[in-house]
Amino acid sequence: MSKGLHKVAGVVGVGDTDWRADYAAQRKGEPARFDGIGLASLAFKRALADSGLKRDDIDGLIVGPTTPYERMGEVLGLDTRWGGQADAMLGVIQACMAIKSGLAEVVALVYGNNQRSGKVNYGGSNAAGGQSFLSYVYHAPWGFTSQGALYAMMFQRYMEETGLTSAQLGQVAVAQREAASLNPGAVMQERITTQDYLDSRFVCEPLHLFDYCLINDGGVALIIAEAERAKSIRPDPVMIHGVGRYDLNSGATSLEPRLTDYYLPAQQKVAEQVFNMAGVGPEDMSSAQVYDSFSCHIPLALEGYGYCPPGGAGQFLEEGHHRLGGRLPVNTSGGHLSESYMQGWAHQVEAVRQLRGQCGARQVPGCNYVHYSSDVAGKAVSIIYGR
Amino acid sequence: MGKSIPIQALTDLPMWQSIEEGALKLQFCSDCDTCRYPPAPICPSCLSMDSEWRPVTGEGTVMSWVIFHRKYFDDFPPPYNAMAVRLDEGPIIVTNLLDPVPGSSLIGRRIKLEYVDHDGRKQHGARLKEAD
Repeated sequence: MSKGLHKVAGVVGVGDTDWRADYAAQRKGEPARFDGIGLASLAFKRALADSGLKRDDIDGLIVGPTTPYERMGEVLGLDTRWGGQADAMLGVIQACMAIKSGLAEVVALVYGNNQRSGKVNYGGSNAAGGQSFLSYVYHAPWGFTSQGALYAMMFQRYMEETGLTSAQLGQVAVAQREAASLNPGAVMQERITTQDYLDSRFVCEPLHLFDYCLINDGGVALIIAEAERAKSIRPDPVMIHGVGRYDLNSGATSLEPRLTDYYLPAQQKVAEQVFNMAGVGPEDMSSAQVYDSFSCHIPLALEGYGYCPPGGAGQFLEEGHHRLGGRLPVNTSGGHLSESYMQGWAHQVEAVRQLRGQCGARQVPGCNYVHYSSDVAGKAVSIIYGR
Repeated sequence: MGKSIPIQALTDLPMWQSIEEGALKLQFCSDCDTCRYPPAPICPSCLSMDSEWRPVTGEGTVMSWVIFHRKYFDDFPPPYNAMAVRLDEGPIIVTNLLDPVPGSSLIGRRIKLEYVDHDGRKQHGARLKEAD
């Protein structure tokens, strides 16, 4: 197998915004300080400062899906020789592809989302994402809406089939809140118990409030540079060791791949690709950062990528292997559930900071490889970061 | 907030008309007989663009279900349920259980579709074939 995008590029700068302070201010009724473009701009400035680069060193631009591409480049004063719009996971992959092909050498990725102050709806008659995913809106005549409900439908069946209990699923929220309590930037820092989880209200049963991601404003930026250039920029670039993607589209709107195999085949195909490209296996991972719009993404990823056998996630969670200090600490920042819902972007930053050893009280000791995984509606993507 | 809105792309219209008439019809490929749900201009199995609409039995088996505790639509005050049902003809559809949700699991239960008035339109709902 070709080495593909193995160590073609590395992350040389990361930046994010003050989502904890912004969340607190908005809860008090204060107006938002920035819109999405402003949040992305602040994150970009911080990523640039983190890299030590000058703005003019950047020759490629990737803009997240929640702000317009042209306007984002305009406000940042970036005329680039390559550019595009992508979500977090495909953004990282596309930056590597552009660098490998010689179309760019230093790519800025910027994302800003004012989803809380802008009152974005993820369910109902104008559900976000409905333009891209028909299943988000097609079943609305029966009141069936929201991405949370789609995962609730999926997980109800999964729980009956595997015997995973609510208390076991609750270990995801409990552990991520524990990690967030050690992350000064996290929006939610107060620890919760299994009983708190079980006592919390249902949003779409069987999923509880604590199974759902936060809705908060924020921005994230990354600067990714060609491998040799990266090493000249800083002594400790975090290299991208492997990437992979597999999309289950067949039957997607009628929920077929969701309700029959829980998207496992997509993750298993990605696992083969990403671990081969990186030349390592699940046993080599120091931590996993898993896209967690809902807690149930974690057990599905644990099984899909071979961290436990299919049907074995309930036991894995009950034994606490996903907690800080466990065999595979998952979402060490608190993730979407407790740190900040940045649609996968902040997970990349956490991976980089863990590998740099910058994570303070939540630092994973001896962190060598971090596995990022996302599975949004059966589109599975993985990235393996290392040194 | 607003009310729930049926998606009525060009290919969906015969389905909604059949629901309005109280007997769900679905679209089948004229060449390989694959059912297309949601209705589509081309067969994902054989790429034929020919199709015909046929009534379905309206019977099926529950795949999964959820209960909404949060309000998303003005015409669906919580709590309310939604179910995924595999029709005997093959496709999985989403509908509402018209009976009270039992305390035990619904997965694997047999249902039959009925047609109910909902806020000025007709749509299908499901009855358990064996009373709980």
